[in-house]
Amino acid sequence: MAGSAAVLEDGSLVSRLDRRLLKAEKLLALISGLAVFSLMILAVVSVGGRNAINAPLPGYVDWIEQIMPLIAFMGIAYVQREGGHIRMDIFIGALRGRALWLFELVSVLLILLLILALVWGSWSHFLRSFDFAAPLWSRDSSIDIGLPIWPAKLLAPVAFAVLALRLLLQVWGYGRALVLGLETPPAVPLVQSAAEQAAAEAEQLAGHDTNGSGQG
Amino acid sequence: TEWNVSLWGKRRAFTEHVEKLAELVSEKTNGEFTLNISYGGLSKNKENLDGISIGAFEMAQFCAGYHRDKNPTITVLELPFLGVNTLEEEVAVSHAVYAHPAVQEDLARWNAKLLMTSPMPQYNIVGTGEPRDELAEFKDMRVRATGGIGQAFSAVGAVPTSVTATEAYNAMESGVVDTVAFAQHAHLSFGTINKADWWTANLNPGTVNCPVVVNTDAYEALSDAEREALDSSVDEAIAHYLENYGALLTKWDSVLEEKGVEKVMISDEQLAEFRKVAADPIREQWIKDMSAQGLPAQELYDLVQKTLNDVRSGS
Amino acid sequence: MEPIEIGLWVTGGLLAMVVLGMRVAFAAGLAGLAGLIWIFWAKFGYDPARFAKALTIAVKTAGQVPHSKVSSQALSLIPTFILIGYLAYYAGLTRALFTAAKRWIAWLPGGLAVSTVFATAGFAAVSGASVATSAVFARIAIPEMLEIGYNKRFAAGVVAAGGTLASLIPPSAILVIYAIIVEQDVGKLLLAGFIPGAFSAVIYGLLIVGIAVVFKSVGPPVKGFTWGQRFASLPGALPIILVVVIIICFVYNPFGGDAWGTPTEGGAIGAFIVFLYALKEGMKWTELKSALLETAKLTVMIFTIIWGVLIYVRFLGFADLPGAFSDWTTSLEMSPMVILICILLAYAVLGMFMDAIGMLLLTLPVVYPAVMALNGGESVAAADSAFGMNGTMCAIWFGILVVKMAEFCLITPPIGLNCFVVAGVRPDLSVQDVFRGVMPFFVADAVTIALLVAFPGIVLYLPSLAG
Ligand code: NA
Ligand code: NA
Repeated sequence: MAGSAAVLEDGSLVSRLDRRLLKAEKLLALISGLAVFSLMILAVVSVGGRNAINAPLPGYVDWIEQIMPLIAFMGIAYVQREGGHIRMDIFIGALRGRALWLFELVSVLLILLLILALVWGSWSHFLRSFDFAAPLWSRDSSIDIGLPIWPAKLLAPVAFAVLALRLLLQVWGYGRALVLGLETPPAVPLVQSAAEQAAAEAEQLAGHDTNGSGQG
Repeated sequence: TEWNVSLWGKRRAFTEHVEKLAELVSEKTNGEFTLNISYGGLSKNKENLDGISIGAFEMAQFCAGYHRDKNPTITVLELPFLGVNTLEEEVAVSHAVYAHPAVQEDLARWNAKLLMTSPMPQYNIVGTGEPRDELAEFKDMRVRATGGIGQAFSAVGAVPTSVTATEAYNAMESGVVDTVAFAQHAHLSFGTINKADWWTANLNPGTVNCPVVVNTDAYEALSDAEREALDSSVDEAIAHYLENYGALLTKWDSVLEEKGVEKVMISDEQLAEFRKVAADPIREQWIKDMSAQGLPAQELYDLVQKTLNDVRSGS
Repeated sequence: MEPIEIGLWVTGGLLAMVVLGMRVAFAAGLAGLAGLIWIFWAKFGYDPARFAKALTIAVKTAGQVPHSKVSSQALSLIPTFILIGYLAYYAGLTRALFTAAKRWIAWLPGGLAVSTVFATAGFAAVSGASVATSAVFARIAIPEMLEIGYNKRFAAGVVAAGGTLASLIPPSAILVIYAIIVEQDVGKLLLAGFIPGAFSAVIYGLLIVGIAVVFKSVGPPVKGFTWGQRFASLPGALPIILVVVIIICFVYNPFGGDAWGTPTEGGAIGAFIVFLYALKEGMKWTELKSALLETAKLTVMIFTIIWGVLIYVRFLGFADLPGAFSDWTTSLEMSPMVILICILLAYAVLGMFMDAIGMLLLTLPVVYPAVMALNGGESVAAADSAFGMNGTMCAIWFGILVVKMAEFCLITPPIGLNCFVVAGVRPDLSVQDVFRGVMPFFVADAVTIALLVAFPGIVLYLPSLAG
């Protein structure tokens, strides 16, 4: 299924590393969420300031453009860990056992290749905007109030580096499953059977829905 | 040789010199050397310098104000109230500055060589309601203006408001801003003129500077004939641009008339006052900041003024 | 090899990777990167000594795209609108809306499904993201439909199709993206989406009623709600009305005065109001935290597709595939209306393989000028034009048509995002199940689009009021 999937845990080294990395990934994803929240607050300050005291937030657009990379990148490894980046599973969903692990492994290796290239490319994009000798270390600034852009540009290689770690773990996880012929390997998102997924989903939604049911 | 050229938006008065350049270069080399112009397909406008530096394409246009820290030296041309009145003067001062070694060194960090400018007229403002023709009336005015022009308005008590060009019409309609500063072609293409009751004909607070650059390695790799064809076409391309933009400016008056937009003339005393409050402190601050970075700021500013004098005295 | 041939090969490779189950965002990014390497190396005559140079240029060009493309004010509407959706869900607003719709119209044949469609249309007015709407209603509406014996595929199809309404009914991120690409007034486009969105909902409703009348087993009516219960259900849905009014007022003031701000601000203020309402309803930090995490997950997923596809689009720019298409279209000798219909059909085909935003970003720079030229140019008067409307109105009309096509591609296989999301939320449904269930709605969408093409007034009435 394209959306969420389950990641099993056990005492193996790869699973222990998975859980350790997950903590960091979840924190980064929450930062993404808080950044969305800050967009809202920013608008309230800007509209409120304009209407109440004729003082709109200076550089409103510049600030939004600085916040967007936080929102877009920080959660990327977390979504990969949960198997949340969408895909077509008509073909791969029909595979079982070693054949499945082989395709998953090749797929993750290709993604790793792309992400390593993007760590390089986005790092060089960052470097072009960064200069120790310049005021605020800035070689690229925003259009309106001249904010340095390098901190926002740095977010891409950082987030991609964390994603690269996640992908390495998944290469290990799928590779181990392929070599050992495992049925249900830990530390990688599994295509679940319907019943397993239903149980997981019901558990997850049970808490969410109490709020809404009062209205129903 | 085939060069990729990165512009943005669509073909308009602002890109006519590059189109003309492509035509001339191909003609002069019997199609041996062609410029393949792309409107936004190769890069985002704010990253055209990055693309030149990488070597992804060979020619590009950008505006200094998009990223002051990428091209600090050229921002001298975006200082408020430089005193440039015509497009011809804008071409002269731009090309004089582009020829300065410090500016060339600045752009060399991007592996870029300055080829020509894209002269823009002064960013006069349109507004709704009663015309604001006195400095006192600029106080608390919410104006869509960025960079140096925004700072100038801020100096007289106005409130510069960030709105993207595409949101400018909407912002004006909704009262987010009272006035919008653009060049004429942008007032036309972003529709702000349709909302306007008046336009300042002679405020001339400043403009943006948008050079066309080429990748240095690609330029040096050209054959002598190709390089000659390129260099020799610049003046003709600029002349074509000026003629074309001139037609647009002529049309401008009839557009104002048709839409019933009042042409506001601001008195010389008021202009002098504006310059004193806005131009001088901002220029002095600029010179101070740039000098601290080791750039010959005063020299660049003096070069602009000297060139302006030379043009006017016809030498 | 010509750049255009490279473009076609790489596009084929991208499709193969997607079909074999690689995650779409990364498949697009990898295809784009490989294409860039190929095109720069081809430029160097495949000289082995210069491969490293071609690789470096390609990697650095691709490496610009993620930061460059996501740091955009226009795109900030996407996370804001997703957040509104989740906050409204946690504030109980979606369920209140569904309850109200149920009590008022579930007596129709297929009533619960019709109620779902109108509740999604109502929710569309506080949510800019089709995908979020489908996700939320998959949780609320599908269980109830299954409980009274609906076919589970059909129930899933109703939710996936209903979710697409969020892109037409303002606020809509995709309409804003269109406005930005073609440089038209954002406010007018958002206004223009209103009636066609409601119109689509009515057509969906009629289709469901028709199906339920013909196949009695599909969905029994739900009767027995008293008028007292009906009116009692309204106050719970009122906050949505409030948010709708505020968001609209930030775009266009129907009471005649100035609008209150820009669309960007309107979206964020709308989110803030729902946030306050959720606080009042007793939302705690843990719930806010889940809302933020869910928003982050969905946003990151969408943005990863956006920049992944845009790396591929950047490569297409170098391969000049769009330019080739443009030349080809304008050389055709056919009536403008026939060409327009062909363009819309091409969108339907393209939409099968592409995500909506990627598709618009890729095609509009080429297709939009062609359509404007077909009508007689940007500044043509209505009387001299091919489609009987001036340039501005043509831009708005075409925008609504294209966005309707983009919505359509949210439910068409093999990459229909809404169907993926419904399947993701509902573990007992596979993506293929949802695709089967949503098929009847293809007919409804075809009818809607035909009517919007035949009667442009449906689209243009509101924007023409705004002047
Ligand atoms: Na909506
Ligand atoms: Na699709």
